[in-house]
Amino acid sequence: MSMLACVILLLLLIFGTLFAAILDTAIPAWIAGQSGANPLTTPFRRCAQFLAVQRLTTERPDMLNWLLAPAAYLILAGIGLGVVPLSEGLVFIDLQTGLVLWGACEALTVVVVFLHGWSANAPFPLIGAYRYVAIGLPAMLVSMFVVIGVALPAQSLSVSAAVEAQRGLWNIVKQPLGLPLFMLLGLSLTLRGPFDYADPFDLAAGTSAEDSGPLRASWRFARLAMLVSFSTMAATLFLGGHHGPGLPGPLWLALKAAGVMTILVALGHVIARTTPSRMLTLLWVLFLPLSFLDLIIAGVESLP
Amino acid sequence: MIHTDLLFYALSTIAIVSGWRVFRTDSMVRASFLLMSSFIAVGLIMLLLAAPYIGIATVFMMAVEMMVMALFMVMFMMNPAGLNPMQMVHQHRLSIIAGIVAFAALALAILFSDLPQDPVAPGKPGVADLGFELLGNSMLIFETAGVTLLATMVGTVVLSSRSGRFGGADEGSRPPGLEPGGEPAGRKPEEKAGGDMHQCHGPGRQHSEKQQDGDEQ
Amino acid sequence: MTLAAILLVAAALIGIGLYGALSQQSFVMLMMGLELILNGVLLASIGFWSLALAGAPKGQLLAIIVMAVMAVEMAIGFALVTAVYRKRQADTTESLKTMRD
Repeated sequence: MSMLACVILLLLLIFGTLFAAILDTAIPAWIAGQSGANPLTTPFRRCAQFLAVQRLTTERPDMLNWLLAPAAYLILAGIGLGVVPLSEGLVFIDLQTGLVLWGACEALTVVVVFLHGWSANAPFPLIGAYRYVAIGLPAMLVSMFVVIGVALPAQSLSVSAAVEAQRGLWNIVKQPLGLPLFMLLGLSLTLRGPFDYADPFDLAAGTSAEDSGPLRASWRFARLAMLVSFSTMAATLFLGGHHGPGLPGPLWLALKAAGVMTILVALGHVIARTTPSRMLTLLWVLFLPLSFLDLIIAGVESLP
Repeated sequence: MIHTDLLFYALSTIAIVSGWRVFRTDSMVRASFLLMSSFIAVGLIMLLLAAPYIGIATVFMMAVEMMVMALFMVMFMMNPAGLNPMQMVHQHRLSIIAGIVAFAALALAILFSDLPQDPVAPGKPGVADLGFELLGNSMLIFETAGVTLLATMVGTVVLSSRSGRFGGADEGSRPPGLEPGGEPAGRKPEEKAGGDMHQCHGPGRQHSEKQQDGDEQ
Repeated sequence: MTLAAILLVAAALIGIGLYGALSQQSFVMLMMGLELILNGVLLASIGFWSLALAGAPKGQLLAIIVMAVMAVEMAIGFALVTAVYRKRQADTTESLKTMRD
């Protein structure tokens, strides 16, 4: 726990969120081949619009949980970012079981999204919350096996050891199934694309349907912060973290995280979303056995 | 050491107060998440006690369990959001006395017995030791726990599958009868669906015929 | 943070859990009471392991077994609640008057 790590993390969070917001505007326009709104100013304009709009509320909402949900989401993103080693020996939360802490953040994200949908006391948010719980919990299981696969060559549950074990060869080469499966979890954690059952367009923005004004802005900000946190974690676990020639550690980490973020946002806008029952079948029948296969590959590689 | 003690007192207060509030709150979903916060506080206390894996695994497991518990609350409780004040208790005074007697007896046992003093060495790698123990000396216990969990999964599916042993899955979706085993109160769903279908087809056919007449003219 | 303090906190959790398990009419709330009792047991076992057993590995194993018991109890408990509701449409303990029915 040091001041330098805290400062670097805050900078990563703020600039990462800004970068993610810019990507959110630029990538759909690029995919569609149109030159839409100016991506550099749209995030600020949208934020100002949200903050200036009138606050509406529903009848008898669970106000405590409604206000708590975006704050808790942001805190979970912060904790997920805090476990990541920024450089040799520079970690904000130096824990022997950092990977399990990341798993706990994933599980608590499902709780937070459910609370966000529950507290509005309206049908569409509740449907979004229920669908997300049904899909989000199995997605988290898939990611847990992938993360255990990363922990095997490191022979430890701490994220620093996982980065240290990638000094020679990155995990994306050693465990090729790992990063694609982990990306699926990323789409689920940040409520994007094929896993966006919580805030989808076909449910009138799902759990955010009754949000208005600053509450909506804070939920979207928390989603982008979780995107930053997840991308940094994916870069740490599979792309070698802060290892790299020349530039200082944190800068390499930021570059790799930016790459993962771009791919995630693009995937979110390209892959379609199926019905919840089909996605449930896919998760339990296809992705979970694939994660077992990844775990077996990692285990066989780690045998002495 | 003083901030560890303060943190321990704060976390134990959170654990006990939220555990008490579970049974005093009206909103059932809030009750399950209050229990989750009690478990999270206990998990963080275990972090302070140099058991990092057990602490965070408790938080992890309890987040998922309480999420499922919240869904079951909404399924089975009358008042999941606490919009009306409600307190469904029986033998209230007896259970308060039982709780206090249990706490008093345990507290007396704790305060008057000679507790051993052998703290864990601070530099010990707790997680690696646990790993070697689980897959070394105590592998039989560990594997038995694994098989027990598999048996639990099988038992849960048997008890609650769609064509269940103790009643089909669709039986529960009817509202309960006015007497046990009787007809469900309210409308009967089967004939209404047939009636709606016939009504939908009628005007549709007439509408398309009118359209064709309009086109011809 | 002495062993006595930790055990007192665990005893308080067990007491509150016992109150909940005995007083609640609804099945699901009853299970929450049982969860609280197991919470207290878990804290007590880790307290003993950390401050009285010098970190012997079997103590953490006991904690893992308690967590497995919690998981099994919740799973089978919810399945039984569902089965009882489907068979007798009862979701409170008061509705189950006799064992034979």
